[in-house]
Amino acid sequence: MPAAISRGRVSASAVAAVFAAGAALFLAVESQRGMLALLLAAGALVVAIRRLKGLRPFLQAASEHEETGALAGVAFTLLLCVLFRDDHFTVFLIGRVLLATLACLGLHLQFGSAGVANFAGAAFFGVGGYTAAILSAHSPIPHIVAVALGGAVSSLIGSLLLLPLLRTRGHYAALITIAFGLLFRTFAEVNDSLGGPQGLKLQGFQLFGWQFNEELAIGPFHGSFYINYVIAAVALLAIAFALVRGLDRSWLGLALDAVRLDETAAAAFGLEIARWKIVAFTLGNFLIGTAGALSAFMVGFIAPNNFTFAESLTFVSIVLLGGIGNAWGVALAAFIVVVLPEKLQILQEYRFLLFAALVIVVLRYRPQGLVPRPLRRYFRGLA
Amino acid sequence: MSIGLLAQYVINGMMLGMMYALVAVGFTLFFGVLDVIKFSHGDLVTGGAFAGLAIYSFLEHIDGGGTWWITLVVAIAAASSMAVLGAVIGRFLVLPLRSAPSLNTLLITLMAGTVVRESIRLFYPGGSQPHRFPGLLGARAFQIGSLTLRLDNIVLLATGGLLIVGMHLIITRTRLGLAIRAVAQDEETARTSGINFERMVLLTFALGSVLAGIAGVMNGLYYNEINFGMGLLLGVIGFSSAIIGGLGNMYGAILGGFLFAALQTIGAVALPFASAYKDVFAFAAVIVFMAWRPTGLIGERVSERV
Amino acid sequence: MPKRTIRRVFLATAVFAVAIIALPVGAKETVKIAFIGSLTGGNSANGIGGRNSTDLAVKLRNSNPKARYQYELVVLDDECKPDTGVQVATKAAADKSIVAGVTHYCSVVAIATVDTFHKFGLPTIVWGAVLPDITYGHNYPEIHRVNGTMINQNDTAANFMFGQGYRKWAVIHDTTDYGKGHNKYFSEDVKKHGGQISATFGVTADQQDFTAELTQIKPLRPQALYFGGLTPIGVRIRSQMDKLGIDAAFQGTSGILSDDFIKGLGPLAEGALAFREGAPLEKLPGGKFFAEKYAEQKYTGSPEAYGPFAFAAAELLMDTIEKVGPDRRKIIAELAKVKDRDSIVGKITFDDHGQNTVAAITKYVVQDGKWVVWEDSEYASGKRKLRGK
Repeated sequence: MPAAISRGRVSASAVAAVFAAGAALFLAVESQRGMLALLLAAGALVVAIRRLKGLRPFLQAASEHEETGALAGVAFTLLLCVLFRDDHFTVFLIGRVLLATLACLGLHLQFGSAGVANFAGAAFFGVGGYTAAILSAHSPIPHIVAVALGGAVSSLIGSLLLLPLLRTRGHYAALITIAFGLLFRTFAEVNDSLGGPQGLKLQGFQLFGWQFNEELAIGPFHGSFYINYVIAAVALLAIAFALVRGLDRSWLGLALDAVRLDETAAAAFGLEIARWKIVAFTLGNFLIGTAGALSAFMVGFIAPNNFTFAESLTFVSIVLLGGIGNAWGVALAAFIVVVLPEKLQILQEYRFLLFAALVIVVLRYRPQGLVPRPLRRYFRGLA
Repeated sequence: MSIGLLAQYVINGMMLGMMYALVAVGFTLFFGVLDVIKFSHGDLVTGGAFAGLAIYSFLEHIDGGGTWWITLVVAIAAASSMAVLGAVIGRFLVLPLRSAPSLNTLLITLMAGTVVRESIRLFYPGGSQPHRFPGLLGARAFQIGSLTLRLDNIVLLATGGLLIVGMHLIITRTRLGLAIRAVAQDEETARTSGINFERMVLLTFALGSVLAGIAGVMNGLYYNEINFGMGLLLGVIGFSSAIIGGLGNMYGAILGGFLFAALQTIGAVALPFASAYKDVFAFAAVIVFMAWRPTGLIGERVSERV
Repeated sequence: MPKRTIRRVFLATAVFAVAIIALPVGAKETVKIAFIGSLTGGNSANGIGGRNSTDLAVKLRNSNPKARYQYELVVLDDECKPDTGVQVATKAAADKSIVAGVTHYCSVVAIATVDTFHKFGLPTIVWGAVLPDITYGHNYPEIHRVNGTMINQNDTAANFMFGQGYRKWAVIHDTTDYGKGHNKYFSEDVKKHGGQISATFGVTADQQDFTAELTQIKPLRPQALYFGGLTPIGVRIRSQMDKLGIDAAFQGTSGILSDDFIKGLGPLAEGALAFREGAPLEKLPGGKFFAEKYAEQKYTGSPEAYGPFAFAAAELLMDTIEKVGPDRRKIIAELAKVKDRDSIVGKITFDDHGQNTVAAITKYVVQDGKWVVWEDSEYASGKRKLRGK
């Protein structure tokens, strides 16, 4: 037994290390040719790993020790920040990836766990951002509370949609969220109290005197001020991840799975569908809103055009690519969707087209996504 | 408010309603036959408009006998190209996903719509800018008091009406229509009756997309302008209209289309200083409506297998 | 291990090696400056015109053997949207190898990015945005502008229209700071002259349908419709005016001074008016030179209204870099001292807010499918009449 456990921990850390190294390479390479070469290498590596049967037990062990993997992930992310401490834009990208992951975790909770289709992800992201902007500019509320309130207001507004959402299913529910997304964007653009099309500016985030917009200086270590935001994002993401995974593995997650897979059967078993859908939807919106609030602080600016339908579809693409139901997949997909267009300039203009096409391919040939949902394991150590 | 002003609003509302109705009927056809929401429909409207424009630019250099046959060619080009595209999307993206949860089909067609939209933006020369659509129907107008009634508006309204009536006749009076209705009611029985299921589905898709293509050309003729994003909003509005009227019901779709246009017009009249709010108003109304009547005004024809 | 796998691993390693080798080695002699403009979307003509002009300046400088540095132009697209603008501005400003920027045609974007440039200390010169607050709304030393602001533009416009006999307007403006700014200054000017504005409507920058606004304007019978906004909706408003039978002159600002406006309207564009700071290209001190060199490069598209300003901005930046080297702080300090500097658009002087004063305002009218300087047009000579009078 002891040998297996330590092998598991080492494997988990190793997997995290490989991903971190890959991420570092992708972030560091500047030239277009280098990027293409790197993509080819990554593809070859994936193929190699799938063929090498000898690795299977290691990967299996790794997936059983998620906490170690998560801790390793946090450590490696911070290491990446140290590595890139002088490069503002790269740290900014890392921050964006983390916050996109946080938002998509919320979506994943709604889509993957409770089967509630939310096509207004970007709108809820925006609600969080606008809340943070208005609160930080017009009230003495500390910024950390403003971020939490961003999530809360998002949930609140989302709950307005709950009545129609619960009474409908499938495509009708989808329409409601799509209509809301469009409604929100138009409203933000037309209404001057939200800054109109010009948007709103935000000052830097402040936490008990720690000014996030000032360069990070700990002793001899100097780094881009974006590192402050990355640290905050990592903290939020860690909490959210623990929450979501904990939910997934608990009996609550079991109930949500049942609701998603077959509402009729779930109802027959006495599960209150409505209640669990409400929980998933509200919690999901809270995560999305919080991510939006912190993101607004990080960018320092928020405008209605950030929250178009295309952006919502991008969030949905991340969840689909990552595999509905797998939280780790979300992180991987978020990295690909955020970083690749920035690095491969050819992709920048074509990115919506490419991601849409990619999702079509995935839905058609591999609906489980890049990292498929693992079968629910009831007892650790077995199977 | 003067009668002339009111009449102007009404005419405008009817034009919008006609276009929404055309799109909504398409949605309802797809749903009726396969229980799917083909979200790429709105972007096929854009496709039709651009296909029409492309043909026109090509024909411009050939001096035609008169604008009426160019208009016809443009409309036919738009309709047929979209019919093909609609059938292709059905064949490769929708049919294979028949057994998957309906959310997947919604998603895949949403993405297909995005692919169409982005392709136009990226590959059509100057796609990201709005393009001028030629005023093929002329600019003659009649002045009735303070109301300006344009000939092209009348032609467009009439054409839209004819199309819908024509579609209705096809569905109810022809053997093709009979086959479509059979397939919509019960796939298995239709099959055992000797109807080629796949072919019917593709034909229905093609038919619905013809409506989309022509709606695109009509949109271009009405606004004298097309841009790559026009289909997105139209698609959502068409979908909303189809739902308001009850999915699967053609009359419901038409009713829904005009109702939505009425909502928008009321919003524009009630809030004269910020007509942009009319969209907010209309969408909010749709959401509230869905809470009240989740399956639409006339009710969805649902055949659920238990 | 099976042979196939070994081959695959080998391949992967080889590709990795190639990747490492492909990593670039930095060259010291190259200095990067950024160009940011609206390269896609409804205002792309102006953005591309600005980009071509800046590219021309860089090419000419690079072909000059006496230049101390080799210049590389990093082109970024702000899509005329403030959020995209802030993103690309962050990207440019956070990149330490970029030492200066030639920025923005769209005022909406320019006003949003001033804080970003200040945060990272990137010196920029605006080449096309006319909102006054971009330079006057703050005290950031990084921001400068070579083209004029909308205040003078609207002053001249009001004087001109009154001179032509117009007394009654209806106003449609977009709800961005750009449109609102135009509305504010023009309305003030009209009031000063004692004219009348019967109605004012704010519309979104991407609105499709103006029937509601125009239907309300029609019974008011204004002589002219003042439009404060950019080409895309200008085209729609003008064409929908025609559909509703509104007989009024269409008076726009520098926002509609582009070929796309005429392309979008065809014959309907005839008689539309617009105003711009700066003398027309032919009358600029360096106008002929610029036009010749531009034509030589065979760019797709003309430099449009603000191309010469972009060229002048780029030249000014490169001159400064030649003098003090590729150091952002030194460039900012040096730009503060710019006084009576010669350029193709005339003498440039930055005031204490980095704003250049451009005295001349040119009036344009659309004649036979082209923007023609008013004084040279048949409208001025009386052969053609403006609408609405």
